Amino acid sequence: MKPTVFIAAGTALLGAVVLHQGGYFSSPVTLPNAAQTGDTQSPQDGYSKPIAVAQNGKTDAAPDGERSPPAASSRKVDETALRYFASKGDTKRLNAEIARLKALYPDWTPPDNPLAVRQQGDPQLDQMWKLYSAGKLAELRKAIADRQTAEANWQPPADLLERLAVAEAREQLVNASNLKQYDAVIRVGSTNPSLLTCGDVDVLWRVAEAFANTKREDRAKDAYLYILNNCKKPEERYATVQKALPLLSRQNLDLLLATEQKTPDGKGEFAALRGDIARQSVANADADPKLSIPDIDIATVEGLAKEGGLASDDLLLGWYYVRRDKPQVAETWFRKARDKENTAKSSQGLALALINQNRPAEAEDILHQWRDTDDDTRKVYLAAVANLLAVTPPPPLTPDVLQRMVQEVYAAKDSASAQQLGWYADALNQPQTAAQWFKLALDWKPDDEPSAYGLALTRWKIGDKAGVKDIQTAWAGRSERIPTVGERSIETAALGKRKTGKAAPVDTSEEDAPVQRRPANQDEASQDEPSQAKASQDGTAAPRAGKAGRTRQVVRGCSTTIDPASLSPEAALSRGWCLMQVNRPVEAAAAFEVALRGSGKTRTDAAYGQSLAYLRAGLTDRAAVAASQAPLDSDRSIEIRTALLETQANTAFDQGRYTETILSLDERARIAPERTGLMVLRGYAYLKLRRFADAEQVFRAAAATGNHDALRGLNDVKAARQSNFQ
Amino acid sequence: MEQGVAASAVTPDEWALYKDKFLDPAGRIIDNANGGISHSEGQGYGLLLSYLAGNRGDFDRIWAFTRTEMMVRDDGLVAWKWDPAAKPHISDTNNASDGDLLIAYGLALAGEAWHRPDLTQSANGMAASLAAGSLETVGDLVLLKPGNSGFASGDRADGPVVNPSYWVFEALPVLAELAPAGPWNELADNGRALLVRAMKIGPSNLPPDWVSLKAEPAVADGFPQEFSYNALRIPLYLVRAGIHDRDLLAPFMSQMLDDQGRVRVVDIATGQTRQLLADSGYRIIPALVSCVLDGKPLAGDLQSFLPTDYYPSTLQLLALAYARRHHPECL
Repeated sequence: MKPTVFIAAGTALLGAVVLHQGGYFSSPVTLPNAAQTGDTQSPQDGYSKPIAVAQNGKTDAAPDGERSPPAASSRKVDETALRYFASKGDTKRLNAEIARLKALYPDWTPPDNPLAVRQQGDPQLDQMWKLYSAGKLAELRKAIADRQTAEANWQPPADLLERLAVAEAREQLVNASNLKQYDAVIRVGSTNPSLLTCGDVDVLWRVAEAFANTKREDRAKDAYLYILNNCKKPEERYATVQKALPLLSRQNLDLLLATEQKTPDGKGEFAALRGDIARQSVANADADPKLSIPDIDIATVEGLAKEGGLASDDLLLGWYYVRRDKPQVAETWFRKARDKENTAKSSQGLALALINQNRPAEAEDILHQWRDTDDDTRKVYLAAVANLLAVTPPPPLTPDVLQRMVQEVYAAKDSASAQQLGWYADALNQPQTAAQWFKLALDWKPDDEPSAYGLALTRWKIGDKAGVKDIQTAWAGRSERIPTVGERSIETAALGKRKTGKAAPVDTSEEDAPVQRRPANQDEASQDEPSQAKASQDGTAAPRAGKAGRTRQVVRGCSTTIDPASLSPEAALSRGWCLMQVNRPVEAAAAFEVALRGSGKTRTDAAYGQSLAYLRAGLTDRAAVAASQAPLDSDRSIEIRTALLETQANTAFDQGRYTETILSLDERARIAPERTGLMVLRGYAYLKLRRFADAEQVFRAAAATGNHDALRGLNDVKAARQSNFQ
Repeated sequence: MEQGVAASAVTPDEWALYKDKFLDPAGRIIDNANGGISHSEGQGYGLLLSYLAGNRGDFDRIWAFTRTEMMVRDDGLVAWKWDPAAKPHISDTNNASDGDLLIAYGLALAGEAWHRPDLTQSANGMAASLAAGSLETVGDLVLLKPGNSGFASGDRADGPVVNPSYWVFEALPVLAELAPAGPWNELADNGRALLVRAMKIGPSNLPPDWVSLKAEPAVADGFPQEFSYNALRIPLYLVRAGIHDRDLLAPFMSQMLDDQGRVRVVDIATGQTRQLLADSGYRIIPALVSCVLDGKPLAGDLQSFLPTDYYPSTLQLLALAYARRHHPECL
């Protein structure tokens, strides 16, 4: 227990303001006017009594309290404490006590020789004061009660009782505060207003903290402001701002800072805290990406980081930037921190910054050692893994790295990464492995459609028709594309009939997947006429994106040529579809362009229509642009993307860029099943790249469906191999 | 009801011996058999005993320690354990409702007898807090939760769990007069009803220390499934509260002792003896019941007080104080 006699001494010495009973925490709990001390009224707090200087606050318990400087003559001043301190030679406390009594009783003069009256001293009372000074409050209670029992007429001095009550209240408050019992702190503080003085700044801090932690930030601010407006000790003022830092909003903090006084050397007393203030500000912004903070705070912390060399400052900035989509800047700061000390946090931040710059391999490498630190780190690590596996072309991964990634995916049961491992294996032509991964991903997240799609696809590739059926049954109605895995292409069948200049037979046993989408309404005419197919060596057309073939609609209303600009967007839209039907894609595109001026459905339909038109016309780049003009629903989006990728693959092949062909096909295969026709294209691309084994594998799989072009491809592989040896 | 001046129901000598061993000058009661910790139960007993000894000084200092060091919860009840070896001394802010009851009871008695409105006011506050947070209604019974946290229906798998020995029966009418708004009389009645049902759980007719009321009354999980240190004070509480119902007390009289007069710790399921307790403070309890019901005086060794451990020493003084006041023929 702390020596408690300082309280009264401090009160007088510092000229502190002790607040009137009932003034400090009248209900509802308010604080006094936070202005300078004085006799001013503070009406805004509903606090009507003047604040008197250096006055002893009275607790409820003491019935003989006085409120204002009394008529001195009528009251005997209690000099027991005075004489006690004198007898102990405690000059400091003696002087403090004299000052206190003079403040209380202006007409009182101190005795010339306090020791002189020692004979009348009360040794028992002295003993009591001794207990009080030593902080033995419970024993003091006993001493008082025992004496009251023994001497019926003895009254303990009111002063002693008061101080005892206040000291006990302080003990209770501090204990409750240490246990974070904030309501108890506020209750004890409010029933003992004389605790709340500059002589007891620690109590005021605890009360402020209790307010802050019970959602009463304004009361906390008032408490801190009270200290700054009334208390003089520099170190206490400084500590007050320090303590307020993490608890108050920046706005309230600025109110505290406004009380800053100048030190003798002309600087502000809180100057050294500015750095911490800026740090706290950035820390708040780290926690809340929506929070905007003054630029000066960021600049301050950047300055501190550059000069001071604290990794924690680097981290503050790293998190700030990474949370605000500036991963490059963030990376610099995280690297600085990490160079100083490689920790989980700095690695996690750096990995995040790298992931957001599409550098997942580096992220994985950096974060791997820290992945087990906590859930957050693990999440980031797995994100790096998933992103790394999703890179196209499939990145070369050393066995070590792959091994450790696989281990982590297993341990964490992370569905997203498992799915990516599936695609990765698939891209490396290992459909069996891929299927296993897709299965795991689905086990871990049963409602994940992409994993289910991947599983269906790879099962189909390895010939597990029953397995494909299982998935399709389970996902009936929940996915557009899963039912189409392995399905005959109606469109291709229709294609075969209409192909111009090509005598390729239509193989009805072909297993082709049609385009996924079915027209949403009848206005969107079905397109059944492909233009020049950029096919591979066989005759199977790689049709442009279109819809599943339907009965041909009667062509109406667009056989003439008009300027679509004269039409309303809705009319232009209709005209566009009509023109697509009669295979005038360039004009259709122009009509859709006008329709794009419309809104809502008209606009989205126009974007879709225009991209189809450009695709038909062979203007792939424009098709991509058109598709981005308005948001497309996911089915259409898939349709367009698959069509674009298919076109890309074909174009690449025609131009002799075989690796690109493979890449485009790979990308397409992630969002739509690869029809046999495309598998044949792939096979020939492998063949051109002299990847005989891969070519053979693909042709073999395609040939299993009876596709003649695939069979031909197998022969071509054989021939190419033989020619190698000649 | 124990009202008015205690008139040395605990003699000065007895109190001197007790406090010499178990009362720290700073006002805490030391549980010497339990690592020297203090707890709200001990503080409550300390207040009660110092009141019964008429010693205001010791009462005040025990109350001072309780108030400043342990009464630090947001709701104004008392944190149950204070450990001299721990920093901070309080590591678990849960309360123990029997400690709170004992403390409020002691404050109420002293406040009235010694004209101390501050004590009465504090007792009132505690009663209000207890009524607000320490009771649970289960079916049609108002029950005392052993602590505000951790024992209610939603707090444990076998909840609600109660401790029948936490019903300080003599305190309840005092609180009823002090704070009539609370359900104290109901709590007292329900406590007796609970006790009757708890005593039917096993073949020994003795109640377990801890009871689960999730379904039919059963022994609670995770505690020794025994009539043990907690439950053996139940008959003492009943007698001190003036509840001299023979049917209720008879099983304690007949089942608590072995043939050598030692108190049995009993396995509830089998009725077998698990442990034998020879301390006067335990043996005096069934002896007191015998005296109150059948007029059998207490043996000489039970009447002389020599402090041993905090708990049995406390129980012995409470038994002697009662006999001295209400059944002097027992002594």
